[in-house]
Amino acid sequence: MRFRFGDPGELTAPSADRLTVGDPRVVDFLSRFARRLLAPAVARRHPELGSLGYFLRPAELTRAAARLERPDALVFPRGNVFHLPPANVDTIFVYSWALSALAGNHNVVRISSRSAGAAETVLETLNATLEDADPVIGRTQRMVTYGRDDATTAALSAWCDLRVIWGGDEAVRAIRRHPLRPSARDLTFPDRTSWAALSVPGWRAADPAARRAAAAGFANDSYWFDQAACSSPRAVFLVGGDPDGVAEEFLALVGEVVAQRGWSVDAAMAVEKRINAYGLAAAGAVTSMTFPRNEVTALSLTGAGAAPRRWIGAGAFPFAAVATLEDLVPAMNRQDQTFSHFGFTPAELRAFAVALGGRGVDRIVPFGSALTFSAIWDGFDLPREFTRLTTLDA
Amino acid sequence: MSTSFTRSQPERDSLLLKELSELVEHHRAHCAPYDRILAAAGFRGADAVADLPWLPVRLFKNLELKSIPDDEVFKVLTSSGTTGDVSRIYLDKAAAATQTRQLGATLQAVLGPKRLPMVLVDTRSLLNDRRSFSARGAGVLGMATFGRDHVWALDADGVPDLAALRGFLDRHGDAPFLIFGFTYLVWLHLYEVARDNGLDLSNGILIHSGGWKKLVDRAVSPEEFRRRLARDTGLVHSHNFYGMVEQIGTIFLEGPSGGSLYCPDFADVIIRDPRTWREQPVGEPGLIEVVSTLPTSYPGHVLLTEDLGVVHGVDDGDWPGKRFSVLGRLPRAEARGCSDTYREAA
Repeated sequence: MRFRFGDPGELTAPSADRLTVGDPRVVDFLSRFARRLLAPAVARRHPELGSLGYFLRPAELTRAAARLERPDALVFPRGNVFHLPPANVDTIFVYSWALSALAGNHNVVRISSRSAGAAETVLETLNATLEDADPVIGRTQRMVTYGRDDATTAALSAWCDLRVIWGGDEAVRAIRRHPLRPSARDLTFPDRTSWAALSVPGWRAADPAARRAAAAGFANDSYWFDQAACSSPRAVFLVGGDPDGVAEEFLALVGEVVAQRGWSVDAAMAVEKRINAYGLAAAGAVTSMTFPRNEVTALSLTGAGAAPRRWIGAGAFPFAAVATLEDLVPAMNRQDQTFSHFGFTPAELRAFAVALGGRGVDRIVPFGSALTFSAIWDGFDLPREFTRLTTLDA
Repeated sequence: MSTSFTRSQPERDSLLLKELSELVEHHRAHCAPYDRILAAAGFRGADAVADLPWLPVRLFKNLELKSIPDDEVFKVLTSSGTTGDVSRIYLDKAAAATQTRQLGATLQAVLGPKRLPMVLVDTRSLLNDRRSFSARGAGVLGMATFGRDHVWALDADGVPDLAALRGFLDRHGDAPFLIFGFTYLVWLHLYEVARDNGLDLSNGILIHSGGWKKLVDRAVSPEEFRRRLARDTGLVHSHNFYGMVEQIGTIFLEGPSGGSLYCPDFADVIIRDPRTWREQPVGEPGLIEVVSTLPTSYPGHVLLTEDLGVVHGVDDGDWPGKRFSVLGRLPRAEARGCSDTYREAA
């Protein structure tokens, strides 16, 4: 057991420490943590940590805590929260831990031994911030790395009031073998798929600058996590009108953005994309595939129903044309998370959301915002999940 | 002179372009998934071998690709891959016969026309283990047909069987004999035993294959391997080869002077730049594409491997055609996502 953050010691020992929802000591710690993340050297190395720092700025934290207040109940921390982020920790787990800490919970986060890159920077920054923080932070917020140790996972599962499982269906199934106590519950983040939609009339009406901005936003959504984040678009739907030439023009602009940023895909990724694209073609799901450059792979799907839910590789864009957003409704399901859009009117998007009726798609966001974390994620209002309510009839 | 390494590169280029183009059409007509791939890729025809449409070799792990009806499937070859997925290669009677015949013809280049007494650097119990049988066992069994009076260099527990080796050398050691084994087994279990016990392998002709990774971990390079075998056991005839189950019957064999692999007349390699996908010039490393006219029952005639290699020269070595080296495997792509991709990478 390696303590990566917080005071070493028995993780499941009873604690006399009590934090409150929006505890000033936590707000202070998170604010200073955020300031360090926003330092130019860190933000340059890991742009995604800049977004995290922005999310954790004091005004935002105070607002998030204030939003939890309600007239009909007293709001308290849920209690002990056990977090299991994905093996290859990306930054999302920091958001959920920070929101849980802000809600006043005692947290234990299991950090995978495979963590690297941005996660290491996060841990260094957390520890640097801890040095002059209130000691209650180190006593109540702990991050640990341990191997395939079922006993520890079982003990922490029995300890917690809420268990937060990231990392997909398999992780959820594996962790659920360890019982929670009867009053506790799971908050799970299973396998998700995300999509992008481009209005053909909206595209044609957009001026060149708007088109370039759309391509740039879409490129960020797609390339920042090798198109493998749960909210990265897996396919692009061309909606309404004659789509002739739109995908080509759009991808040419994406290619320009990719070239400007100096992004490249490595040889293994390029091969991976070929294997998956050829597999889709062999299965009859794809009628044409082009490789305008190594970083960009374009695929024409036979229809919206053929859109692949699995990862194809970084910069692989299957396109399907449909007449209206409502035509996509039958193709969407509970696995679908983020639906990023360009060129639609708010009314069109609202009608689409209403037609979906909650049966699929949790977030509808503009191009460029697919990866932007928000306190409402995967259909959950996280701050609310991290708290409990006491009613009082005097 | 061999019967299999005779064609100069220009000769080979024109013959292979014609035969492989015909194979492309043959497979398009008989393998619907292959036809769909070529249609989606917009393939119209090739003016050079390097323009022929290639399939990633890993597709044979994901898809059933065959150009023969089910009732003509004579043999299904499988290989255990690094990911646990298994390639399935479908052969009809004719293809199975051709691959054995051409493998024999290729080996004749170094073994001569007669079957030689043979040492298998492996353990007979390998054939009992159903799990490893498909990969290592099939290789050993396949090669065993090119020798006679076989002896296993390792006993049932995988321990070198010095008595068996001594007995073999007493009977056959004074005339050419064949040794076959996986490269690291030869090094660990034959080389060291022969060196430490003064066995004379100078009449041996070693055919070996398998990755160098285990040996690189022990700091043994291909040159070192040859040099020390020759110095310490007298074995100077040593031929590494490169081949894969997805192109069964086709092996790229190390020439007599060592250092390079050569292509049999019915095969070739193209080294591709994994960024531009164009053919690399001599001396520039890239992904190895293997082409062979043998795959008639499945569309495996032009395959892009995930191995890295480099062509050292053309028509300037022991044998005509390209001479090249395998540099190792391309590391697998690993994406940093939130969920399912981790599973694929794990």
